[in-house]
Amino acid sequence: MEKASSPSSSPPAAGDRNNREGIIGWLNPGRYGWERVAYWLQRLTGVGLLAYFIGHIYETSNLTQGFDAWNTMLELTQTPMGHMILLLVIGMSTFHSANGIRLVFTHGGKGVGSPGRPDYPYDAASLNYRQKSGIWIALILAAVAMLYGASVLFGGE
Amino acid sequence: MKIHYMTGIGALFVVAVHIMMRLVMPYNLSLEYENVIANYHNLPYAVLLESILVLIAIHGFNGLRIILLELRQSKNWEDFVTILTIAGMMGIIGYGTRTIIVASGLSLG
Repeated sequence: MEKASSPSSSPPAAGDRNNREGIIGWLNPGRYGWERVAYWLQRLTGVGLLAYFIGHIYETSNLTQGFDAWNTMLELTQTPMGHMILLLVIGMSTFHSANGIRLVFTHGGKGVGSPGRPDYPYDAASLNYRQKSGIWIALILAAVAMLYGASVLFGGE
Repeated sequence: MKIHYMTGIGALFVVAVHIMMRLVMPYNLSLEYENVIANYHNLPYAVLLESILVLIAIHGFNGLRIILLELRQSKNWEDFVTILTIAGMMGIIGYGTRTIIVASGLSLG
């Protein structure tokens, strides 16, 4: 593909374009940048945490039904599968929080750099080392939190 | 988005305290019925739980609203999403508040 800045280039005719992938092209993660991955993870973890929150409010309401109801609920949740789910929740909440803080700064214009002319290959000027670092820090913190959670839940502390 | 950011940052602090309460003693012991009830009888902790409930409900359902509004934009859809999220917030806050009030012994009857 010719660079858009070349004065002698002309846009290809509509029939010559081979970018007719439709929805499949939209969903293809092979072309996602780091910001796109973080975007999807932020939303998926948010929805996951909302679902957990609703379940958590329901399970803790068993407290009002007395000792037996509470222990019955504990038998259901304090299992290896329950601990695995809780580990996922720990990871999701840590990533969502850390990435959310990055987004608060980004929305305020901190760490996005200066705007630039969109020349081919149209790399996002905002995806600089600060944003990439922020995303990686969120992922690493989530992994560390999950490791610590596993040591508490499965380590018998 | 200000409400979303403020509730998110506020929830971060109160949820951190809530999680730490499970770590002041062995994890399994902290989930014993008597220990959990003792938490609810502690008024500052009950207030903390209520604040978690309100902040997370607002943040979570507002986030869901943002996702749904990104999917589609029309008057009817936006009204539907707004009503759904407000109803969801009120429902979960009401149900959770009932648990806190009953468990803390401040029974309404």
